[in-house]
Amino acid sequence: MSDGLKRREFLKVLGVSGAGAGMVGCSTESVEKLMPYVVPPEEITPGVATWYASVCGECEAGCGMWVRTREGRVVKVEGNPDHPVSGGALCSRGHSSVQGLYNPDRFTGPMARQNGELQPISWDEAEQRLADGLAAAGQHLTLTGFAGPSMMTLMESFARATGGGVVRFDPLADAPLREAGRIAFGRNVVPWYDIEEAEMLVSFGADFLESWLSPVRDARAFSRMSGVDERGSKGRFVFVGSRLSLTGQNADEWLPIQPGSESLVALAMANVISGAGAGAGPYRDIVNAYTPENVSEATGIPAENIRELAIQFAEGPSLALGPGVAGQHRNATAANLAVAVLNSVAGNVGRTLHYSAPQLNAPAFGYSGVERVMQLIGQGVVGAVMIHGSNPIYALPASSGFRAAFESVPFKVSFASSPDETTALCDLVLPDRHFLESWGDSAVRPGSWAIQQPAMRPVPHFDTRQTGDVLLSVASLMGQDLGAATFHDHLQSRWQTVAASTGTADFEVFWQEALKSGVVELGGSQTGVAEQLRQPDRALVFDPPDFDGPGDLHLMVYPSSRFGHGSQNTNRPWLLELPDPVSKITWHSWVEMHPDRAAAMGLRNGDMVILSTDNGSVELPVWTYPGIRENVVAVPMGGGHEGAGRFSDGNGVNPLDLLPAESEALSGGLVHFATKVTVTPTGERRALATISGSDVQSNRPITPAVALSALTAEADHAEEEDGNGPLQELQGVGGFVPVETEGRPQDFPLEGAQHGEYGDPETPRWAMTIDLDKCTGCSACVTACQSENNVAWVGESQVTMGRDMGWIRLERYYEAVDASHAGPLDVRFMPMICQHCGNAPCEPVCPVYATYHTPDGINTQVYNRCVGTRYCLNNCPYKVRVYNWYTYTDEEPVREGLGHAPEPMNWAFNPDVTVRENGIMEKCSFCIHRIRGAQDRAAVEGSVIQDGEIIPACQQSCPAEAIVFGNIRDTRSRVAQSVESARVYRVLDELINTQPAVSYLKKVTFHDVESGEH
Amino acid sequence: MTKRWIGALIVALATLGSLVFVQTQDSSETQEPEATNGATTDVVQPIAFPHNVHAGIDRIDCQYCHFSAERSVDAGIPPVRTCIGCHQIIGGTDERQQAEIAKVREYWTNQEPIPWVRIYKVADHVHFPHMRHIAAQVDCAECHGPVQEMGVLAEVNQPLSMGWCVSCHIERDVSRDCSVCHY
Repeated sequence: MSDGLKRREFLKVLGVSGAGAGMVGCSTESVEKLMPYVVPPEEITPGVATWYASVCGECEAGCGMWVRTREGRVVKVEGNPDHPVSGGALCSRGHSSVQGLYNPDRFTGPMARQNGELQPISWDEAEQRLADGLAAAGQHLTLTGFAGPSMMTLMESFARATGGGVVRFDPLADAPLREAGRIAFGRNVVPWYDIEEAEMLVSFGADFLESWLSPVRDARAFSRMSGVDERGSKGRFVFVGSRLSLTGQNADEWLPIQPGSESLVALAMANVISGAGAGAGPYRDIVNAYTPENVSEATGIPAENIRELAIQFAEGPSLALGPGVAGQHRNATAANLAVAVLNSVAGNVGRTLHYSAPQLNAPAFGYSGVERVMQLIGQGVVGAVMIHGSNPIYALPASSGFRAAFESVPFKVSFASSPDETTALCDLVLPDRHFLESWGDSAVRPGSWAIQQPAMRPVPHFDTRQTGDVLLSVASLMGQDLGAATFHDHLQSRWQTVAASTGTADFEVFWQEALKSGVVELGGSQTGVAEQLRQPDRALVFDPPDFDGPGDLHLMVYPSSRFGHGSQNTNRPWLLELPDPVSKITWHSWVEMHPDRAAAMGLRNGDMVILSTDNGSVELPVWTYPGIRENVVAVPMGGGHEGAGRFSDGNGVNPLDLLPAESEALSGGLVHFATKVTVTPTGERRALATISGSDVQSNRPITPAVALSALTAEADHAEEEDGNGPLQELQGVGGFVPVETEGRPQDFPLEGAQHGEYGDPETPRWAMTIDLDKCTGCSACVTACQSENNVAWVGESQVTMGRDMGWIRLERYYEAVDASHAGPLDVRFMPMICQHCGNAPCEPVCPVYATYHTPDGINTQVYNRCVGTRYCLNNCPYKVRVYNWYTYTDEEPVREGLGHAPEPMNWAFNPDVTVRENGIMEKCSFCIHRIRGAQDRAAVEGSVIQDGEIIPACQQSCPAEAIVFGNIRDTRSRVAQSVESARVYRVLDELINTQPAVSYLKKVTFHDVESGEH
Repeated sequence: MTKRWIGALIVALATLGSLVFVQTQDSSETQEPEATNGATTDVVQPIAFPHNVHAGIDRIDCQYCHFSAERSVDAGIPPVRTCIGCHQIIGGTDERQQAEIAKVREYWTNQEPIPWVRIYKVADHVHFPHMRHIAAQVDCAECHGPVQEMGVLAEVNQPLSMGWCVSCHIERDVSRDCSVCHY
């Protein structure tokens, strides 16, 4: 203690402030208890994590996950490396499921409505009420979202036994895609897409990197296809659509078509490829009718672009993806069919998409199912409706009339685990458990299964029961035996059949193995079947559909990258504060408008406008975006919740209320892209809660790119050409003599700085490379980092002030974005983290030596030394340091609206990482706790750390495999080999000589870019 | 001329002023016993568990009870089952012993954890990995003191300050890098 005192004494003499800020030191004034186990669980060692394999339940993709628990509490989720969908990666929504588990607004137990309010009741009473209510109701219906196969069969058998039916509704149903498969090939399925096998990918609007079908699977496949490989070949991606989603921003070329004209482009391409229809089988006449020339005007794309696109598409294995949900218009099935025909004539069916081994459980149950429900309710034959895994009051447009229909049902029950717009109307709530506390299963493809198992006891704050158990119990109360006492028994009995089919004699062994590995691959998935086109059995209209309403601004309501359909699971600060990958806006809604249109209307960023259609109106701020056609505006789903939780309520607007409630004629999917909208400025403004600084690089070499032609022409790319020439560092002889260095990570520490641990050649030097040709900008790394490192969320007001706390920031720069004509597209993503500079500007300016460079190359932050001068934040040229302006981690917010961690959200804190309070700087630490943990383990075991043993949270989560981390002094490590790439550069380093440890690999473009600089 | 005097006066006053402040701090420091971990002697453990009997007379190894010390950052507190393992039979010889052991049995019967008061603690911003130190052949008593001679643990008799930790690191020539403990 005396050492510390001397230093502070000195500062006090200089400062002469002396206000009672004493050095309390390490005293434990408060009494802390140590609670032992009574009987210790075998699988738990205090201080060591226990992992469980399970399946994510956030969306239908069914990524296998590994759940990390500490002392019986879930603290993090990661992808299961053995699972065919996730391959170890996980998206932001998956990571945020921990906040869903610990959502403080979950129902504390069963509730029954008395005098207009939901009042708590006991489980026995709740189940009895349900049994009585269903018995009295006569016919009843269950309206459900997606569920695993065992749960679906149980719901169906329950319905059959008790006089009811089950209707599934997926808010993002790509029903037109499924119907198109049926019409084209007789396959009523959603095909399995194998993007990795394609050399050219064309998306007609499908946002496969965000919310469409299976984003993690597709992000990995896309990055492998489109990231340049060692041989210098690179897959090409062309986006055909009216609005660039995040997926679209990753394209090499953009065809900004007129709204709804995808079919025309697809058929014109098919025309070129199939020889004016000759090779299109039963579709010959249809294809023959559409040529690049005669669709050019309707699509707004010159004929030569379409022709060129078709020729490239036919060259090698290729894949075309349909319009997706955002572009789902009144002729959406025809549009998907046109794309299916295109794939067929190009020979892709059975190569890059497989109808024979489809994606099971894909969202394809559209609005028409709900229309039937409303019809039955209207006929008065439905005595009860049970809602499971769904929030239809929010997810359906107000114009659907579902609210009135639902309210008229005499007995309304919900199994929702947390309040939402639908439970607000229900008479009885029997809260389900979160999927991290539940049993279940998932089938992603024929023969490819996984089991979902509880990773912890149910969170004790909430008295919940798994809905499967409730149904079994209620069935027996109603005198029906569904063949199992608990859902676990039901699950196991179904799996007996699966186990038997593998020829395994001992079910217990099979079950334990399935639980441990998290994957059951039974094979038998038949790929490679080249389906044949059939005669269409429906009348088809391929022309662009009509849009309702006056004017020329088409309204696109699109699934959010952060929330998907956003009807559930939005009460999560991690997702609310995650900057939207396209707009970088947090918390609130916005409407995207082309800058020219905005200028013509006198609108700027932040101006409040009212969007109105015949169906409703919403008020929200404008955000100008060059990546959208001038005659289109777009609003993301997921905002405007009421009664859905303390974090999500009051944020933004629900754009679904602007839509007509119409199911597409052929498929029954909800028509999302059907109306035009009027925009009325209100004269008000608001500050956008955005983290975005600038969209353009202003001639700074932040994200230089290299053209593919330039890259392959120069096999040995000398570093001098990059401008990373030798620098002179005063390091020699104790800092007086210049030492020449190139400033590469492996050059640290420089001669003259090699004392003690710094001079030991065995000391690792941690470094990282991030491949910008693979990064898709999805921001999964941001949420993974936040979860791993207890990074606080700060609230909307603080983000607006620029005080957001993200340790990773996805920068996005427009280099070539032009909505007025078809052409090359160039949007550059860059995950910006602490660069761990060898010559860090932040280190010398800390007055208390709280940040310094460790011998193993990390720019580390010693939290307890930090006194909060923020000079380091000021000096950092990359602006990656963040400051705790308040304590964001207490039970109550320091001030209203600020970040906090109410029980049980604080259970999500990672015990391996210090929780910071106010006055402390923080930043990316290269997951130093993982590094130290691995070093501890290696020291105890007497082993050597292998390359790939230490994986920071961002690398672990990235579906695109863009991040590589390791010891750069180990010449055989992946990172050491990665920095030898011809594309390597370090951000701004030759300008400011920071010598970062983080290197980036330049994005590769098909079009020419200025080499070297940006 | 005058300026220099005034300047010197200000500096002198400032120095004196802050020295007074520092003095106050210092005196409060010296009033405390050697231990800087703040726990005072009026700690009452739920059961008067004597380490000198168990670790001293009975020679039970530290890691018999503190089971996770060799494989985890935490040393671990023995679960009640460990206590009842012996004390379901051993009832104590005198009245005082019998009273305390009866408490153990009561916790076991009620299946309740014994709420021990924590004595040894380093600050929350320090990561202290027990298994690393066990693997480095550091004897438990080096940091925890002669526990086998201590009765009921109520106070910390070792410095457990950072300087004390660092001096041992220097002696044994292991890393003094801040980031091995502070991250």
